[in-house]
Order: sequence, then structure tokens, then C-alpha cells
Amino acid sequence: MDARDLEYVNELLEQDNELREKVREQVHDLDKKARTMSGLLNKIHSTPVDQVPALLEQVKPVLESCKDTSAALASLIPLAQFWRWKDMWTNSLRNAVFAATMVGYLETGTLLTLPRVRDVLGIDLEWSDRYALPAEDYLHGVISLVNELSRLAVNAVTMGNFEEPIKISAFVKDLFAGFSMLNLKNDTLRRRYDSLKYDIKRIEEVVYDVSLRKLAPSKSQAF
Amino acid sequence: MGSREAILSVFECFRDELDDHNDRRERLIKHGRDVTNLSKKVIFLLHRIMVDDAPDDPAGGGEGTGDRARALKAASRGRDKLREVRAMFANVRHELVGDRFWRYQRQISPGLQEYIEALSFAHYLETGKLISYKEVQISLSDDKGIPYFPLPLEDYLLGLSDLTGELMRYAISAISRRGGRTKAQDVCIFVRNCRAGRYFEGWTPYFKDLRKKQNVTSQSLEKIEDAAYAIVVRSSEYDLSPDMLDDIVARAISFHGVSGNGRGRGRDYDEDGPDD
Repeated sequence: MDARDLEYVNELLEQDNELREKVREQVHDLDKKARTMSGLLNKIHSTPVDQVPALLEQVKPVLESCKDTSAALASLIPLAQFWRWKDMWTNSLRNAVFAATMVGYLETGTLLTLPRVRDVLGIDLEWSDRYALPAEDYLHGVISLVNELSRLAVNAVTMGNFEEPIKISAFVKDLFAGFSMLNLKNDTLRRRYDSLKYDIKRIEEVVYDVSLRKLAPSKSQAF
Repeated sequence: MGSREAILSVFECFRDELDDHNDRRERLIKHGRDVTNLSKKVIFLLHRIMVDDAPDDPAGGGEGTGDRARALKAASRGRDKLREVRAMFANVRHELVGDRFWRYQRQISPGLQEYIEALSFAHYLETGKLISYKEVQISLSDDKGIPYFPLPLEDYLLGLSDLTGELMRYAISAISRRGGRTKAQDVCIFVRNCRAGRYFEGWTPYFKDLRKKQNVTSQSLEKIEDAAYAIVVRSSEYDLSPDMLDDIVARAISFHGVSGNGRGRGRDYDEDGPDD
């Protein structure tokens, strides 16, 4: 291999490094936004029901700003190289998915679907080989949502909201039924799925306590 | 999305997607193992031909030409086998369309590196040079020159790092043969050039595995250097015939524990040495 070939390899390497720096910058940005949202959403555990909409109004602008990051990343990543760079932002993206689905749940009591999350985060389907939302990352975000809801079930009761745990219980059980349909192999998704049963147990205990003491309205579902 | 039915139907799609992904992943792991095996066989074949004690081709005149002819024969037989490996890569091409290649890169790269190691060994025997990135990429392209998949720089460099281990074996097993001492010197200089310089050494921070492989390269280099040292020292002390020199060298090598595996003259290349 002569000097020219070595120089060529060097050039390729330099291009990659330049790109990596730029991507890292955007990922840092996305990460910061995801953290801000997680921080704000953490307040949900001490926010009375009537103040929840106000809290969500604080989260939404940050969520909206994720669209800029998505567009920036999509423009940076070369065609057909999504999976090459994806590891760099996987965690941040999952946290952003969590924030989006949490806001979705708090507003409507339902699960924000993957295409809806994609819309919220401004991920264009046409970018699919540059910047996309893979099912796996969406599912990770949803599991984080369940983890957080099991906390909320406990804390809602503390704040005197006895209906919330019952709503959460029904919602999480539906999700668990969904996750049970997947053939998971031994990876992090599988481990996190296995941990869901502890969340469910925790929520059920809250529901039991509340129902036993007739704190919740009796029209609640059987469990 | 509220009702359980809606959630279940969505998760059914996820199941199909994840199953598809896992199945493809499994297929590629199996494929990678086959590629690795066949590539290893090519490397053993090359070693075997190079230490073959059979008389040289009648075409080869003197000692040097005989060795050269042997190297070319090894390279051409190696290339025949490598064509089979390439055909295997061509077969999975449809699994790696678009950015799928990058998704499954971790499953592909062990086999790919082994292939590059074998290819670069054959290339060295033929030309005495390090194969270039472009040459490897061309070897992994179809007749029209369209690559089966993009060649990751990392796999190229790691494959080349493994080559130095093979060259060490090659040099040590050649050293006790006629004309092997010059060959060992050549390899020594070549490996030293691979390791040093602003290239490989300068690239190490960018690839996590390259550092480890560079260390292995250094060890290989030391083994060759020790053997070369032994030759110079002994031959300067005594006025020896080449035959006696060969004996001394053989002893020196076994002292360094390299030919202890029977690699000096034997043909059992069953185990893999310094590379993982």
C-alpha cells in the first residue's frame, strides 16, 4: 500500500470524525432537551390534578423544539447510514419518546402510537434511512412510561387522587398484554420487560389498598 | 389509542417487525461463521503451500525463483478459494440492502475481518505489499463494480492488524529454510512499517479494538526480531556453513516458543495463534 492509499484512508477517517463531531453536538442538544422534559415531568408526582395542564404547557415547548434536533440530525446523516450512527443518540431518543408518551397519557389517558410520537418529535417518514424511530426504541420509551406510572399510582394517592391508580392499572395491564405478545430475545428490552411485572404488582397493591378502604368510586373495574 | 384491542393490534405489528429483525440477525451470524471458517482455511492453505517441502516447480530455476513461484502458486490457489468466500458475501447481499448493512454490521464484521486477513495475506505473498482499502472494496463488488456493501474502515484496519500475526508465523516457519533468513528480514521490515508511522499508530484512538491488535502486532514483531537477532549474533561469531546455521536458528526459535506448536515445519495449523 503506497502513501496515496494511506492518505485516502486518512481522508475517510477525517471525514467520519468531522461528521461525528457534528452529530455529537446535536445529540448533546437532544439529550439536554430530554433531560429538561424528564425533570419537568418528575414534578407530576407532586402536582395536583388541576395543575397538571399548566405543567404540561411547560413541557410542550421543549417537546416541540425536538423537531429542530430531528431535522438537524436528518440533514447530517448521509443516505443509508442511519444504523451506522444511531448508537450515538439511542438513549436520548428513548428518553424523548418517554416524555412524549407521558404527555400523551396525562392529556388523554391513552397510549401515543409510534406514528404519533414520530409526529410529535418531528421525525419525517421520508428520512427513514437517515433518521427514524425504530420500534425497539419506541418500546423502550413505553417501558419507561410504565415505570413512571407505577410511581405516579402511589403518589397520586398521597395527593388524594384515588381514581388515578385505577386508571393507571387498566392502562398498564393493556400494555403488558401487548408486550407479552412479543418474542423477545435476551437483550435489554427483554430485561426491562421482565421488570414490568414489579411495576404491575406495585400498582395492584395501591389499587387494593384504595378499594379495600372504599376510597375510590365503587364503579371502578374489577381487578 | 385506548382499548386493549387497539393496543394488541399495534403490538402484533411490533412482533412481526422484531421477529423479522431477529431472524435476519440469526441468519447473518450463521453466515458470518461460515465466512470465518472458510477464510481461516484459506490462511492455513497459504501457510501450507509456503512450507511445503515438495520439490519446486521445474520452471523455477534457482532458489529465489523457486520461492517466488511457490508464493505465486499459493496466492493463486488462495485466490481461488477466496472467490468462494466472495460468493458467500454476494449471497447475503439482499439481506443488507440500504442501511441494513449498518444495522447488522456487528454480526458481519468478524467474518469480514477474517476474509480481509486472508485476502491481504495472499496479496502480500503475490506482491509483497499491503492491500489497499480500495482493492478490498473492489474485491467485494459485483461484475459491474457495484459494492455488495460499504466496507467499514474499522474492519479493513482490524483485518490488516491480524495479517501481521500471520506474517510472523510465516517468517518464523520460513527462517529455518533455505533463503528464509532474507525472507524473515523482509517480513520484519514490512511488519515494522505496518505498526509504526503516523498511520496505524495515529489511527488507534479512533477504533477501540485497534489498540489491542497493535499490541499483538508488537509482540509478533518482537518474536521475529528476536529470531533475526539470534541469526546475526551467531553467524558473526562463527564461520558456519548454512546447514549448521539452520540448526542453530531452529534451536533459537524453539527457545522463543514459537515453533513449539509444530509450526516450524509441521503442517498442523489447527489452532489460531495470537489473534483472538
